[in-house]
Amino acid sequence: MTTLAQEFSKGILKENPIFRLLLGMCPTLAVTATAVYGFGMGVSALFVLLCSNIVISLLKNVIPAKVRIPAYILIIATFVTIVDMSLNAFTPDLHKALGIFIPLIVVNCIILGRAEAFARKNTLGRSVIDALGMGIGFTLSLTILGIIRELFGAGSVFGFEVMGAAFQPMGILATAPGAFITLGVLLGLFNFIFKRLGIE
Amino acid sequence: MRDSLRMALTLLIIGALCGGLLSVVNGITSPLIAERAMAEFQESMGRFFPAVAKVEVEEVNGEEFYSCYDGSGKFLGVVGQVKAAGYGGDIFYDLAVNDAGDIIGIRIGSHGETPGIGDVIEKEPFQSRLIGRNFADPISAGVDVDVSTGASVSTGGMINSVRRVMNVIGENFLGMEVEKAEIDMSKVADGTYTGTATGFKPDLTVEVTVSGGKITNIEIVSHGETAGISDKAFNEMPGQIIDAQNLEVDTVSGATMTSQGIINAVFNALK
Repeated sequence: MTTLAQEFSKGILKENPIFRLLLGMCPTLAVTATAVYGFGMGVSALFVLLCSNIVISLLKNVIPAKVRIPAYILIIATFVTIVDMSLNAFTPDLHKALGIFIPLIVVNCIILGRAEAFARKNTLGRSVIDALGMGIGFTLSLTILGIIRELFGAGSVFGFEVMGAAFQPMGILATAPGAFITLGVLLGLFNFIFKRLGIE
Repeated sequence: MRDSLRMALTLLIIGALCGGLLSVVNGITSPLIAERAMAEFQESMGRFFPAVAKVEVEEVNGEEFYSCYDGSGKFLGVVGQVKAAGYGGDIFYDLAVNDAGDIIGIRIGSHGETPGIGDVIEKEPFQSRLIGRNFADPISAGVDVDVSTGASVSTGGMINSVRRVMNVIGENFLGMEVEKAEIDMSKVADGTYTGTATGFKPDLTVEVTVSGGKITNIEIVSHGETAGISDKAFNEMPGQIIDAQNLEVDTVSGATMTSQGIINAVFNALK
């Protein structure tokens, strides 16, 4: 049996959804042009993941196995819609920037993946820990991508100018190809680090 | 049988609970969203016309225009909620024009332009190229108003759209004449008319024959256009105009300036 600490940290390091499992690539590539967008996307997904893991873990003995996927999608879609409405009401700028990628959290494979692979087989406590670990791992990864792309693509971090007026932004990093390039470089870097640390 | 009933019932209950939860959240958030949209709207009118007290909405060609009046009913100007064709789809923006026909403000709403590239349209250095221009000023992308290097599609789309919207506002709200290459053939008596316009070079003169209320012949009388290049326009444009019986015809590629010159000359002859 894995300890709770391991359960938590696996989502951030060993089984990091972006850099280790390569799940949820669509929002990863699409909304990490700036650090704030990446962070906002990560937190939105974290909230949905946490809520859906809790509910699915609680209902694991109630939902018949044959209809579990539609049931999970219903539950996930509900929380996604709540996030969508709340962002629209309280953080309209972020809502405008993330746009269609908020509703698309419904089909984010990390969330359905955790429901299917973890929450339906584990206790409530472990499901919460799992969701927090995975969600924070996802948020951190998107934020790192966002910081790098914003720093070199626009010369700022979280909207604050840091590179000075003489800096010539590398526009490509703000575009879709820039997302692929940054992700690829980071994947290579993390693979190297993990090999060095002996984590497989 | 019992199994399928249980499955259906479970899904039904989950669906009902989800629906209930969503309607609660919607009840909380929708007034906030509506309130914010209203506040944004008032703020966008107020930032252009601080004295605004009354607003009248009118729709022209599917776009909404807000005529603003102050407390005493004096006309302040018009704000158009309009759109431009950008790089990443439509750019929705507000264009404010005062009663004298000057652009006093631009506010970019939602758009799909690339962050860090096309979103220069939101920023002051680009917008200042347009603000202050009058209805009567020429506003042509790349000619009178510079596009931004690296973002020519976004900025060019905005400039062209501003020109179009200025015409709509001028014509519909400010009572200004918009010069259009349109002729009302029913008002042109039979006869022969001469008109001159500038093509690639000045003094492109045409002779237009009207008979029975129709353009029957267009003769190029004299011109200073480049030989060889302009030939295609001279060969094709008169026929096109005669076929169409109006001036809404395509220009000949490679000889656009000459083609436009012929159109303008015919317009000048018949106006």
